[in-house]
Amino acid sequence: MTPLVVADHVSKWYGQVIGLNDVSVSIPPGITGLLGPNGAGKSTLLKLLTGQLKPSKGSLTVFGEPIWANPALYFRVGFCPEQDAFYDRMTGLEWVSGLVRLNGYSDKEALDAARAALEEVDLLAAADKKIGGYSKGMRQRVKMAQALAHNPELLILDEPLSGMDPIARRRTIRLVKDWAKAGRSIIVSSHILYEIEAMTSNILLIHNGRILAEGDVHSIRDLIDEHPHTVHVRSDHPRELARELLRRDDVLSLKLEEDAVEIQTSKPDSFYRYLTELAASGEAGGIAEVTSPDDNLQAVFKFLVK
Amino acid sequence: MSTETPDSIVSAPPLAAPNAGRPIPKAPGAVTAALRVFELSLGQMLWSRRTIFLGIVVGSPILLGLLVRILEFMGVAGTLKMGGASVSGDAAFGTMMWLLYLRFLVPVLGVFYGTALIADEVDDKTITYLFVRPIIRAAVLVGKFLAYVVTTIFVVLPSVVVLYLLVQPLGGGSLGAGFPRLLTDLGLLALGLVAYGALFALVGAWMKYPLVVGLVFVIGWEQLAMALPGYLRKLTIAYYLQSLVPHAMPTDGLGSALQSLFRDTPSPSVSILTLIVASAVFLALGGWLVQRREYVLEQ
Repeated sequence: MTPLVVADHVSKWYGQVIGLNDVSVSIPPGITGLLGPNGAGKSTLLKLLTGQLKPSKGSLTVFGEPIWANPALYFRVGFCPEQDAFYDRMTGLEWVSGLVRLNGYSDKEALDAARAALEEVDLLAAADKKIGGYSKGMRQRVKMAQALAHNPELLILDEPLSGMDPIARRRTIRLVKDWAKAGRSIIVSSHILYEIEAMTSNILLIHNGRILAEGDVHSIRDLIDEHPHTVHVRSDHPRELARELLRRDDVLSLKLEEDAVEIQTSKPDSFYRYLTELAASGEAGGIAEVTSPDDNLQAVFKFLVK
Repeated sequence: MSTETPDSIVSAPPLAAPNAGRPIPKAPGAVTAALRVFELSLGQMLWSRRTIFLGIVVGSPILLGLLVRILEFMGVAGTLKMGGASVSGDAAFGTMMWLLYLRFLVPVLGVFYGTALIADEVDDKTITYLFVRPIIRAAVLVGKFLAYVVTTIFVVLPSVVVLYLLVQPLGGGSLGAGFPRLLTDLGLLALGLVAYGALFALVGAWMKYPLVVGLVFVIGWEQLAMALPGYLRKLTIAYYLQSLVPHAMPTDGLGSALQSLFRDTPSPSVSILTLIVASAVFLALGGWLVQRREYVLEQ
């Protein structure tokens, strides 16, 4: 298979700080997960892959061409950035169609493409609402809509599940898989292995600006399972939620906050599945947001680089 | 450069299948791209906090003019005086044009908007969405510059007209007689907004602390150079802009007195041509810099 992305001894410095250190990697078509803790170099790599930054050293090609200063490649690449940044006064439809017009679409074509993309991420009902009034999960989805509205071959998603509620998470994971089945390639970053694993087994492990491992990395799974995993769940009824969760054997500790519960679990897979079912049933009230601090991975990565 | 929509896009493609194996649409030309960035940015800029603040600033002299008119109507106010001397409404309006608009508002607006054209998008982290589109990056700067010009003209010029209607008739001044001068005022203010905006768009694209550099230029350099004899004044925008003003220059202080003393004015055609060419050069250089520069967003 011809690789989509080829990085050859790529390094990136921000002044004296090194963001990426001599990375050589080939990313094949399909779904590739980029996994690493905060500050590992995930965002730097994705910014290089999307031509926002220029490599300080080495070469990087996407579809066989350098992407820096090569805007024509953006017909084939869609990018959903990590930052929660928007033109808040615009509606979702205005924003997505305004951006896709920059891809050469006429007004009508842009509106059609934007509506189709918003429908794809299940946001069509809120298309005419201002983005400033969107929930965190809706904002994540409208970001994805702008990335896929021009129907790119390669989608690059930076922490796309961050801040989503369990049901939106599950739906987004399914969407990513569907996009891949439809012929798109997707590079998706996260600091949560369970999120990445739900989408693909092809993983790039990144830490301290270096690729530690790539491919089907089952071996780190066992390592990660040895460490308790912290999950922060924002809920309308944290007490009811806490009561439900305390019944589980895998919950090692629980901290009740004003509008949230923080749990340490020894079985993250099973816990996430249970949380999704709980959210869908509505038994413990609404679950607004699920986040996982990236120190979950830190311990594992520290072990791996020893 | 094409302003046409590419023919290759007939309708939005279905999302189920990506672009693979199909003709890729042609990139929008630089002019089309700049106009589309303009359309995307205009609403944001018009309703930004900066523009609301600008509205308050330009609204203040209007309120003052309104107050004077009410007092005059009620017979409370006497004749209009400046520095102890009675002045006509026409002279008062001319003084306001000089002191408020030409020496203060237009350069300061140029600094605050021009330096922020790209910086605001970088600070808000929304620049990413524009830079991952198949358009040249320079079009982003030009599109945002057009949005700045329309926004500031939309706020500043109507305020000048309202101020004229309020102040000009004071002391028996004629609205009709002063109208040609009002048109000149509006034209030169628009030209000033373009020239200062283009200069500071370049500064914003080039320097790390553009706001400081911009303020030093308009408050320090321009005032100093204009008060000195010789050629230095030709390296200011004020030199060309002030030559177009149809009102007498006020002598309100040492700076103004020195400027009056050494004043030499280029012809209106030279001034207009210089300002237009300089603006185009500033924008072209700014676009060139944006094209090459990396913008690192803070995490």
